[in-house]
Amino acid sequence: MGFTKINGKMVEAQVVPGQRLFSQRGAMLAYSGDVRFTPNITGGQGGVMSMIGRRVANEDTPLMTVEGQGRVMFGHGGHHVHVIDLFGDTLYVEADRLLAFEGTLRQSTMFMGSQGGVMGMVRGQVTGQGLFTTKLEGQGSVAVMAHGGVFELPIVPGQSVHVDPQAYVAHRGDVRNKLSTALGWRDMIGRGSGEAFQLELSGQGAVYVQASEEKL
Amino acid sequence: MSYPPQPPYGSPHNQPTQPGFAVPPGAVPPGYGPQQGGYPPPPPGGYPPPPQQPYVQQPPPPPQQQPYAQEQFGGPVAPLPTGHGGTGPVVWDAHSLPAGDNVNPYAFSVDLNGSYFLQKGKMVAYYGDITFKGVGAGAIDRMLGQHFNSPMHAADWVVAEGRGKLLLADRSFDLNSYDLDEGNLTVRSGNLLAFDPTLRLKQSIIPGFLTLIGTGRFVAASNGPVHFVEPPIRVDPQALVGWADCPAPCHHYDHDYMHGLIGGLRRLTGFGGASGEEHQFEFIGAGQVLLQSSEKLLAERSVGAVGAEAGVPMGGVPSQPSTAGHGGGNPNIPGLGNLGDLGRRFGL
Repeated sequence: MGFTKINGKMVEAQVVPGQRLFSQRGAMLAYSGDVRFTPNITGGQGGVMSMIGRRVANEDTPLMTVEGQGRVMFGHGGHHVHVIDLFGDTLYVEADRLLAFEGTLRQSTMFMGSQGGVMGMVRGQVTGQGLFTTKLEGQGSVAVMAHGGVFELPIVPGQSVHVDPQAYVAHRGDVRNKLSTALGWRDMIGRGSGEAFQLELSGQGAVYVQASEEKL
Repeated sequence: MSYPPQPPYGSPHNQPTQPGFAVPPGAVPPGYGPQQGGYPPPPPGGYPPPPQQPYVQQPPPPPQQQPYAQEQFGGPVAPLPTGHGGTGPVVWDAHSLPAGDNVNPYAFSVDLNGSYFLQKGKMVAYYGDITFKGVGAGAIDRMLGQHFNSPMHAADWVVAEGRGKLLLADRSFDLNSYDLDEGNLTVRSGNLLAFDPTLRLKQSIIPGFLTLIGTGRFVAASNGPVHFVEPPIRVDPQALVGWADCPAPCHHYDHDYMHGLIGGLRRLTGFGGASGEEHQFEFIGAGQVLLQSSEKLLAERSVGAVGAEAGVPMGGVPSQPSTAGHGGGNPNIPGLGNLGDLGRRFGL
């Protein structure tokens, strides 16, 4: 089970009866076997209330359910794809970066403003993430998209990692993130370094960073 | 490539006057050409020191730069530079450029000796004496008659003639070359860059696709590396690059997806799941299907008009409408105008 990487921009998944996958709509490239694609109006798991939550939180990416027996290839928009395996831990990722994930994972929406108060809201604005993010937890695989290749930076206690907000893709584990600013008078007159805002991640886990500052 | 072996190209010792290089000496770009070996003499004190210290980790420079390639790197037979070693920019020249191979994933180098067909605007650079002529000009017409059985496309193609190295690229899409041996391969018209004149180009019955038949090599672009799969498989229309030998490419509509009232509404309004996954191309039988790893398409080339004739698909349609997006020409785009058609199809 899980996703097999075919090349940097394409993953393949085995679909077996009784286990379903969720994928972004339109992300299927090809399939063989008897596989059905059902549009998922609620946009994921958890029923209508979760759907409303996602709509309000602007984390409602159109998803479809993939069921049946066979193999399916996924890819989207020429973006690089990175497969993350979860073993009971939690992944935080923007919904529009989700290419596909296994149905064994629990999906929920999380209010990011609770981390860092007012600064958390500013962070949401700066990174373009908004105030909410999608949380996946449990056991299974996730394929996330990024512009440019993805690399993983471990976060260990006492050693925080600073990431450009635009290059941030996802993070996992027990991580607190806050926006650190290095604003000075230069930024006020438009002569800043362009790196005035950084995401500071601390705790225990890992952060995934894309080699590009372009949003999806 | 299957070209006959050539004398070393541009080498000053063996061939002081090559037939292909009838260029006035002043017109030859510096650093290339038979008059003087190797690089031009550096301006007095102008250049930084030649790549001795700072580029130690680089692949060695091309073997034919006699004077200093030999002293510094111990012999004329140095391995060719690797295209993407990650150790800094690699300097290529007329000798070290690969012959009929990729320079990097996005650029392809053709060792030209004779003629080559390429689509307009795909040449990015060349070494040597190459002329580009529009298809349909003069003496080329004769060759054309044999290998270019697709007169509708003539305006899109040029013939490169001469000797040299020709670099092809297309908006940083991944390029691949494919060797055909008495085979056939059908490829999306926008993705085909260039092909050997030993191949014959024909217009596929499937609108928007071109078929190459014969023996030879061609170069095609794709978004991301190409992935080969074997039928039976169903492919998203945008992910399809082409196919080889497959006898029966056909449309496949997912009935479940569009079934009944909800499905009809979906299709009509686009609300709740007009995702495109209800429609695929299906391939069965023996062959290979070429997939590109994303759904971003190259701009569709106009494939020209097929003469209006009974029994010819798309006959008389002037060109591929760009809104259709893929070769199939999605027969009904969601919209109110399709209501009658939908009713007929799904029993609404």
